[in-house]
Amino acid sequence: MASHPTTPGARTHTYDAIVIGSGISGGWAAKELCELGLRTLVLERGRDVQHPGDYPTALANPWDMPHRGRLPHEVVRANPIVKRCYAFDEATAHFFVKDAEHPYVQEKPFDWIRGYQVGGKSLIWARQTQRWSRFEFEGPARDGLAGWPIAYDDLAPWYAHVERLAGISGNRDGLEELPDGEFQPPWEMNEVERVLQSRIGAAFPGRRVVQGRCAHLTAPAAQHLALGRSQCQARHLCYRGCPFGAYFSSNSATLPAAAQTGRLTVRPHSVVESILHDDATGRAAGVRVVDAHSRQVTEFFARVIFVNASCLNTNLILLNSRSKRFPGGLGNDHGLLGRYIAFHNYRGSLTAEMEGFGGSYYSGRRPTMPMMPSFRNVRRQETDFQRGYMVFFTAYRRDWNRGVDEPGVGAGFKERIARPGPWEIFMMMQGETVPRHEHHVRLAEDRRDAWGIPQLVTSVGYTPNDDHMVRDFLAQGEEMLARAGAKRIHGTDDHRNPGLDIHEMGGARMGREPRHSVVNATNQLHACPNVFVTDGACMPSTGVQNPSLTYMALTARAAHHAVAELKKGSL
Amino acid sequence: MQQAARLAAAYVGTQLPIATWAAMPASGAADTEIERLLDQIGDTILPATPGSPGAGEVGIGRFVLYLTAECHPPETAATLHEALAGIRRQASRRFSRDWSTLATGEREVLLADYEREALAATPERKTGWLHLKGLILLGYFTSEAGATRALRYDPVPGAYRGVVPLLPGDRSWAP
Ligand SMILES: Cc1cc2nc3c(=O)[nH]c(=O)nc-3n(C[C@H](O)[C@H](O)[C@H](O)COP(=O)(O)OP(=O)(O)OC[C@H]3O[C@@H](n4cnc5c(N)ncnc54)[C@H](O)[C@@H]3O)c2cc1C
Repeated sequence: MASHPTTPGARTHTYDAIVIGSGISGGWAAKELCELGLRTLVLERGRDVQHPGDYPTALANPWDMPHRGRLPHEVVRANPIVKRCYAFDEATAHFFVKDAEHPYVQEKPFDWIRGYQVGGKSLIWARQTQRWSRFEFEGPARDGLAGWPIAYDDLAPWYAHVERLAGISGNRDGLEELPDGEFQPPWEMNEVERVLQSRIGAAFPGRRVVQGRCAHLTAPAAQHLALGRSQCQARHLCYRGCPFGAYFSSNSATLPAAAQTGRLTVRPHSVVESILHDDATGRAAGVRVVDAHSRQVTEFFARVIFVNASCLNTNLILLNSRSKRFPGGLGNDHGLLGRYIAFHNYRGSLTAEMEGFGGSYYSGRRPTMPMMPSFRNVRRQETDFQRGYMVFFTAYRRDWNRGVDEPGVGAGFKERIARPGPWEIFMMMQGETVPRHEHHVRLAEDRRDAWGIPQLVTSVGYTPNDDHMVRDFLAQGEEMLARAGAKRIHGTDDHRNPGLDIHEMGGARMGREPRHSVVNATNQLHACPNVFVTDGACMPSTGVQNPSLTYMALTARAAHHAVAELKKGSL
Repeated sequence: MQQAARLAAAYVGTQLPIATWAAMPASGAADTEIERLLDQIGDTILPATPGSPGAGEVGIGRFVLYLTAECHPPETAATLHEALAGIRRQASRRFSRDWSTLATGEREVLLADYEREALAATPERKTGWLHLKGLILLGYFTSEAGATRALRYDPVPGAYRGVVPLLPGDRSWAP
């Protein structure tokens, strides 16, 4: 099936570069490619979302919402998967895929949380943006797992590059296990968090509590203001879209920057069905698109293609790109495509109370929380499980909600619960899971979606390693909270499904060896080098930190490589 | 900051896709009596205090019925009505009078007793009470009067301050 730019209309359908998907990674690909001079087409399956006009709930008061933020029972009943995402509520539901719209087959339970629109999940992410450390890049190889073909130092300048535009707030903490970046001013800790920070630090040498780094402008610079972005107002209504452009999204940052070059075309409602391989040249020629509404099929052509549909959809598109040369999916010479899918282990959490500090409060709503980089197996193997976990926690005073299970009626009760209650602490883990060959996604043989594309089958689960890690976190968390003076500590393993972490990774993992990996050290398919995979699909391991900043850095790096190769004539 | 304020001002003019609180459908005639009972229960749990109205004044009865119907499985309505019937029965048992004729102090005593018993009773009874009290608290503290007068509401804080002394009389921030 040789598809060439000979299709009718090919001339008008030809660009220098095509980017599939307009989310966090696709937005970066578009910006870099446009700024480097390429006429770039972004194909996005969802509707357009204009910044800031298309954030209909952004300024709604609690009383403006008929269900006060809750979801109608009908919506909950019809969405057993997405309803489990904490960010899916009355004010944000319009940015999430509803279960019935895009079915998939769960061979093993997997909560696939998606946002199909211009901006993708960049509108609804939690904006935690820690760099990975050298230990995360080096650790898997040390432990006999698939290694990274790049080192921290390869990525460090690209982290700096994306941090400057995205705007990342944080302290310079000077920790090897959590490298510093190009930071906006940090957010403060409240009094109980400061107490926890010093007590945990004193009781556990080497365990450091720092403020979480997040993609929020706390002191916008000229380049941010030029894009119409402004300072974070500490509203923490971020999941509705930010009219201030204060947090990083494709819509507020990368797509406007790309558009300013005059070389960007964004095409919403364009479902990419497959990538077209030209068996004669050994390169991808373009992509086939099904119109989301009319189902009409169109083809677009370009010299480079960036696949940024988000991890599992990128796997789906590649698996569905079958040709004579690649009967098992584009670039899939060794049956690895779709395999070694991993995610983050979020099962463990603790709550506790901290007595005292009744005279201390805070003001404003902070969009981040304190964290601890991994303190397990960082420099050497120390525990009965492989790899490690990081910890997020937050302390806050209970609000009127406590009046539901705290007995009382009448004026005294009302006055009491209208005032800040006792301090509570919430602590959670974010653990690395080990990619395994059997944890995979594949195309369903007998089920297609409304656009005629095979549905995805997910076959990803936990292993005993994950159970051991949860147990360790719950024990360490309890001990840290107890040593810090907290009371009534309760730990839970909620046994949530994989996927609800929304950090799915792998399937087209990077590596040096074509026999053991799908893309190379610059994110090109080993077997079809003008196709770049720079979203979560390329990750050979999950690290312990949130992944999106790393997708951004990998994408910017790969885009510069692509343009350099084009200039050399080698693509 | 100025730019932020300008943006916010420009934005307030845009249309919300969702109905507002005032647009909530009115209850049918059969429900108005229940609505009144709920308003009175609301006013007993969260009465008017200096500076802020009681729950009955923000239309809590209609809110409880509306949210029960919209955001809960169908069987929850029966649990709610069972709780209301239980409260009425308690009025005749304890005071040998109808709930509607009880004085504020009597209603308080009654609901405090009812709550104590419900929390120690069968799961079903407990659930009914928690549902009722939970929606009264939610509806009140997220209403405009509840959020802005019983609590402190700051839609655009502008900054986060980690350590702020809590002075006597300071109320919680509304979410
Ligand atoms: C509630 C929540 C909290 C999160 N918190 C964090 C956090 O704190 N830190 C962090 O690092 N990450 C976080 N994430 C994850 C983060 O959102 C993702 O890692 C990130 O968005 C991935 O970027 P992406 O470009 O790969 O995919 P996306 O942002 O999902 O974008 C993919 C785009 O591709 C489009 N697309 C898919 N298939 C096709 C097709 N066939 N044709 C055309 N277009 C297609 C989609 O519509 C979408 O717009 C969070 C996610 C959620 C939902």
